[in-house]
Amino acid sequence: MSSRESCRSELRTAIRQLNDRCLYSASKWAAEQLVGIEQDPAKFTPSNTRFQRGSSSIRRRFHTNDVTSTPPAGVSYVSTPVMEEDEVVDGDFYLLAKSYFDCREYRRAAHVLQDQTGKKATFLRCYALYLAGEKRKEEEMIELEGPLGKSDAVNREVASLERELSILRKNGIIDPFGLYLYGLVLIEKGNQNLARTVLMESVNSYPWNWSAWSELQSLCTTIEILNSLTLSNHWMKEFFLASAYQELRMHNESLTKYEHLQNTFSFSNYIRAQIAKAQYCLREFEQVEVIFEELLRNDPYRVEDVDMYSNVLYAKECFSALSYLAHRVFMTDKYRPESCCIIGNYYSLKGQHEKSVLYFRRALKLNKNYLSAWTLMGHEYVEMKNTPAAIDAYRRAVDINPRDYRAWYGLGQAYEMMGMPFYALHYFKKSVFLQSNDSRLWIAMAQCYETDQLHMLEEAIKCYRRAASCNDREAIALHQLAKLHAELGRSEEAALYYKKDLERMEAEEREGPNMVEALLFLAQHCREQKRFEEAEVYCTRLLDYTGPEKETAKSMLRGMRTAESSFPLMDIEHFHP
Amino acid sequence: MAAASAFAITPHKVSVCVLLQMYALPTQATPPFSSVSQHNRLGLYILSLTKSYDDILEPKLEDLISQLREIGGSLGPWLIDHLTSRVSSLSSPDDLFTFFSEMRGILGGSDSVVIEDNQVILDPNSILGMFLRRCVLAFNVLSFEGVCHLLTNIGIYCKEVLSNCMPYELHRLDGSSNDLESLSECENMDLENFVFGKVNEEIEERKEATERVSFHLHATQAICGLVEDVEVVTDPRSKHHDKGTEDCPHVHHPGTESQDVDPYGEVFLRTNWQVQGYLMEQADAIEKHGGSVSFNTFELILRQIKKLAPELHRVHYLHYLNSLYHDDYFAAVENLHCYFDYSAGIEGFDFVPPSGSNNSARYEIALLCLGMMHFYFGHPKQALLVLTEAVRISQVQSNDSCLAYTLAAICNLSSEIGSSITAGILGTSYSPETSMGSSVSVAQQLFVLLKESLKRAESLKLKRLVASNHLAMAKFDLMHVHVQRPLLSFGPKASMRLKTCPVNVCKELRLCSHLISEFASETSTVATDGAFSTAWLKNLTKPMGSLVLTQENESGENFHALQFCAQSSSIPRSVLQILGSSYLLRASAWETYGSAPLARINALVYATCFTDSSSSSDTALVHAKLIQHLAAFQGYKEAFSALKVAEERFLSVSRSVLLVLKLQLLHERALHRGHLKLAQQVCDELGVLASSVMGVDMELKREASLRHARTLLAAKQFSEAAAVAHSLFCMCYKFNMQVENATILLLLAEIHKKSGNAVLGLPYALASLSFCQSFNLDLLKASATLTLAELWLSLGSNHAKRALTLIHGALPMILGHGGLELRARARIAESKCYLSDPSYSVFEDSEVVLDPLRQASDELQVLEYHELAAEGFYLMAIIFDKLGKLEEREEAAASFKKHVMALENPQDEDPLLNLL
Repeated sequence: MSSRESCRSELRTAIRQLNDRCLYSASKWAAEQLVGIEQDPAKFTPSNTRFQRGSSSIRRRFHTNDVTSTPPAGVSYVSTPVMEEDEVVDGDFYLLAKSYFDCREYRRAAHVLQDQTGKKATFLRCYALYLAGEKRKEEEMIELEGPLGKSDAVNREVASLERELSILRKNGIIDPFGLYLYGLVLIEKGNQNLARTVLMESVNSYPWNWSAWSELQSLCTTIEILNSLTLSNHWMKEFFLASAYQELRMHNESLTKYEHLQNTFSFSNYIRAQIAKAQYCLREFEQVEVIFEELLRNDPYRVEDVDMYSNVLYAKECFSALSYLAHRVFMTDKYRPESCCIIGNYYSLKGQHEKSVLYFRRALKLNKNYLSAWTLMGHEYVEMKNTPAAIDAYRRAVDINPRDYRAWYGLGQAYEMMGMPFYALHYFKKSVFLQSNDSRLWIAMAQCYETDQLHMLEEAIKCYRRAASCNDREAIALHQLAKLHAELGRSEEAALYYKKDLERMEAEEREGPNMVEALLFLAQHCREQKRFEEAEVYCTRLLDYTGPEKETAKSMLRGMRTAESSFPLMDIEHFHP
Repeated sequence: MAAASAFAITPHKVSVCVLLQMYALPTQATPPFSSVSQHNRLGLYILSLTKSYDDILEPKLEDLISQLREIGGSLGPWLIDHLTSRVSSLSSPDDLFTFFSEMRGILGGSDSVVIEDNQVILDPNSILGMFLRRCVLAFNVLSFEGVCHLLTNIGIYCKEVLSNCMPYELHRLDGSSNDLESLSECENMDLENFVFGKVNEEIEERKEATERVSFHLHATQAICGLVEDVEVVTDPRSKHHDKGTEDCPHVHHPGTESQDVDPYGEVFLRTNWQVQGYLMEQADAIEKHGGSVSFNTFELILRQIKKLAPELHRVHYLHYLNSLYHDDYFAAVENLHCYFDYSAGIEGFDFVPPSGSNNSARYEIALLCLGMMHFYFGHPKQALLVLTEAVRISQVQSNDSCLAYTLAAICNLSSEIGSSITAGILGTSYSPETSMGSSVSVAQQLFVLLKESLKRAESLKLKRLVASNHLAMAKFDLMHVHVQRPLLSFGPKASMRLKTCPVNVCKELRLCSHLISEFASETSTVATDGAFSTAWLKNLTKPMGSLVLTQENESGENFHALQFCAQSSSIPRSVLQILGSSYLLRASAWETYGSAPLARINALVYATCFTDSSSSSDTALVHAKLIQHLAAFQGYKEAFSALKVAEERFLSVSRSVLLVLKLQLLHERALHRGHLKLAQQVCDELGVLASSVMGVDMELKREASLRHARTLLAAKQFSEAAAVAHSLFCMCYKFNMQVENATILLLLAEIHKKSGNAVLGLPYALASLSFCQSFNLDLLKASATLTLAELWLSLGSNHAKRALTLIHGALPMILGHGGLELRARARIAESKCYLSDPSYSVFEDSEVVLDPLRQASDELQVLEYHELAAEGFYLMAIIFDKLGKLEEREEAAASFKKHVMALENPQDEDPLLNLL
């Protein structure tokens, strides 16, 4: 990792360059990271640290670890932080075109640059054309809705752009920005392999364009593809890898990367949000909440990723916090899919499912590929007992991203609700395949096997065993395993699982009917096995509970005592030869 | 925007409207229609355009023009000219508005219109009237953007024709039409600026559109190249695979594949109704021809539909069918689930928006389909689980017809895979019949199920289902033994209770055939008139006038389709298919009962009448039956040449019955010729064909081990052969295949006979005989009688009289129905009886023995059955020797020697094998 100062200067130049080419979101990202680098405590002024507040920063200030400022040896990275400028002074036409571009008049901008030959001008012209095509595509998407749904509108500039850019690339007069645009065009055309190569070239020669990285990341759908990329070392690569790992559900790897990055970019909101995302996927809701509280303190008008925070608040049933959040994003920007999603979540928590569906629909209207809105809408329909609509919603989520295990799970649940357990199994299998360390999925599948209709207990046991082995929080699996074994007459196994369950309940200090059941079974089992002492222990523990079990325990104790006192020797003679 | 109506207005529809106008206002035409038939022909053409479903995409103007040239005859050029000039004169949104208000004028019922002489008033409720009204309505609901899009698309639609191939009719258009059009466009643009000053955006859009068009014209070549590039990337397999199977007649190829990703979006789907019709026809084609439909070609078409109409979920179903018949399990499962997730089993012809909270979801149909799929892939256990679930859900949803179909499917499943696994599952969780407990046999369960299913189908008046249930019942009666109580023991005593009822089979088959007469009231679905239109359009080359009666050879298949549609469109294919299978079943019933001529006739009826409507696997089966017949009665040479023809025809039928047949014939022949090594090899191959799952492919397994036993017998390994036969008997007993056991018992008798233990063989022969008697297996009974006679004969000459009586009793049956081998065997046995009878003297009546022997040896030479032929010649030689006919004796002896040599030194060269 390079030193903070070099990062800072690299980013500063990059922001200027990106802005110059109207790559605004990349420059936004770069600027965010720039501010996220920790200021030298000696030099900071209050205005500089405005965005670097928060408890962690205070902690960190006294936490003088300067490991990050010394670059570790042996790591090479792209050595030229600053690109060679091909035109130091922009032409007048370029300035005009850029102004047009900034006013979102893309075609005019492209037209002005028609005869300009510089790399920068060429790029801006192509980019303007591309955006003009995109804009028209969006409009047509609504205009061209046919009787059988929307046929996909296409960006009509793509074909000519592809031709031009491929010629430029062939002749070797394309800059990294051009390559990035070429990558975009290729993705639009569906030529993923070439797009990957081109984007790789782009990021290798100019790593500070985060947009290029994130396009590249969207093309890495498997870990094999990711590993096959040849990327030169640069600290931007770490960002890329962290984000790619996250998409590939390698949350822990991703977390490590982000934590490492935080050494340099200790105040980056982006990194914090990403960490929150990873924690969310690991179901560490407490941590997510903490992170988001801090994030929103620093950046109160943030809308990105806040829907995830609302999910956490939903899961924790924080009515007022959720409503506050909904209000805030609504005031910031009501026509963002995230805002609609948050409001939908709020209504869902309030039990007003129709309204909630309305807002999810709005979110989907704003972005029909908004995955989590489809899934959440499916949940709402399930609540409303409208299974066909729920299935439809889940299915759409699955078709957008076949790796969305929640939607597969939702599909399975919907079918199970309709009493079609065997049919549902197909979906549960899918979801378990994608998320094999989630005990809830295994338990759902096991319950399917356990239903009266299927009654495939062996399979159910296998599923519960998997669930028990992957950190089953609600501890359903152990109890069910014990019960099923008992039902199948395998009392040894049953006793084993009851014992495990009991230990676990003791450790977590939980009480309840499961405890009674376990104790009773163990007591009876030990008595049958002639392990009277153990049985007595269990019976005595049972005495602490009220209910019929207490009486059973009492009578058992009595029975055992009389048996012991009347034939104490026979036992030993007969059973311990 | 247009989501409300399932009918979008497109350039092609505008063209059809123009044609309609010409049809309705004939006086406006400068050369009016010369005859009524010409006028009617145009009307029929327009009707066909709106109805046919031979493609998914609307035809381009070019196609329309060439079709018009064909139907128009002398009027063609004028029609084309008028159409193109009218369509290309639409150059501003306002033109379109005027055009559609004019259109309203040709509809009847609007008073304001002045009616000219000769005008055809379209009834607003006629098909054409409805079409017109829908067009007008669709236009009226368009937003201004929509009108602009329509106009742009009309421009592209015309320009492609006008610039590409400048038809000669266009000379009357002044000069270059392109210039004219762009000129008028410019004018209009000004006008628009004037009128809709505020609506800048649309005009900008139009400018873009015109830009786009000109760009498109310049760069078509390059774009096509790019498009092809993408094709390769998105589906690298398609290119290779399609090469091989390009000429597949069953699936339509869209004109140019590059249309698939046309970046300019001027491809339009036909109306929903037409696309659905197309999909239905394709589904039929896939089900009928199975794997012979090219996978990738069809997949491409489906992808195109999916792109153009993402909400048309039936496409997923066709994906499913396509992958099912190409044995792609995973794709099939995925697509099936996908289809039912989206459609909830209720996607009909009129598009229902998915968001509605309708509670009439039909997920039980999904289960039914999934069950059938598992059945198809040979997963009986899963199939049964799913079907049981389907029964439950159908009951919960009170979907009686689905329940009836599910029951029928379960029947089918358990009759095909009548194994012990079904019993276990049915006994535990199958609700309707649980009262029976698990002790009853599978057969009985099946019987009850069949009855139940039939009753349901009858009460629901599902005629096809009733018919197919009758068929299933007939099959059951044919293959299963009726018992009132569970079987306790075998042999003559118990067999009194076991019997099959040919009468029942006949009755059921007859009931099944009632379907066709009951069918009159059935309302036909989309298929019929759409199919007619499609066929009509395809047959445009026919001279006008007599549509049906022209007999030209060139347009073979289409013509048949047309004839079929025109003549007997009232009987849907599904009915014909069921009827066909009833004939197929008749054939196999007669085969079992032992009447060769009747079996052959029924098979022939099927092959001549029902091949068009039945699936290719059934047709292959009937061919197999006929070839088998040929082999038994005419020898192998004929059979092999017929087999070759059949194999070419059913090249791609997967799991072909023809393969099994080929192996059977090869085995048979190898045994006859004494090629035991080859026989064993073929027999092993046959065994490998069967699935390894318990209880699946029982027929094939039985066949394989039966043949194994026979091979061992031919190799004189008697104890091994007997062991194999015994285990086979046990297996058949276990799986309740009593009827098959008669054959096995006979084989055991045969083994003992060959091994010289005639006494041991007798009880087996007798048991087989009594089995045959109670199961009405007449031919098998005759052959068992023959074996019995041979056994008696081998016990000594004092039993010759008895043997002879037996043979004479069986001879009518054998000579009437038996194949070459059986007849020859009977004749040789007969003459042996005479010869060993002490009271018979050769000198008195030599022809009594010589004549059968001669015939037998002739027949055996056809079969190349060396062993038996040698025996025949040997006997003949001895007789001639006795009679003192030396010359004939030498001849017979030479033949004997030839056959013995052939048997002992089997040559590897076999001329017939090269035939295959």
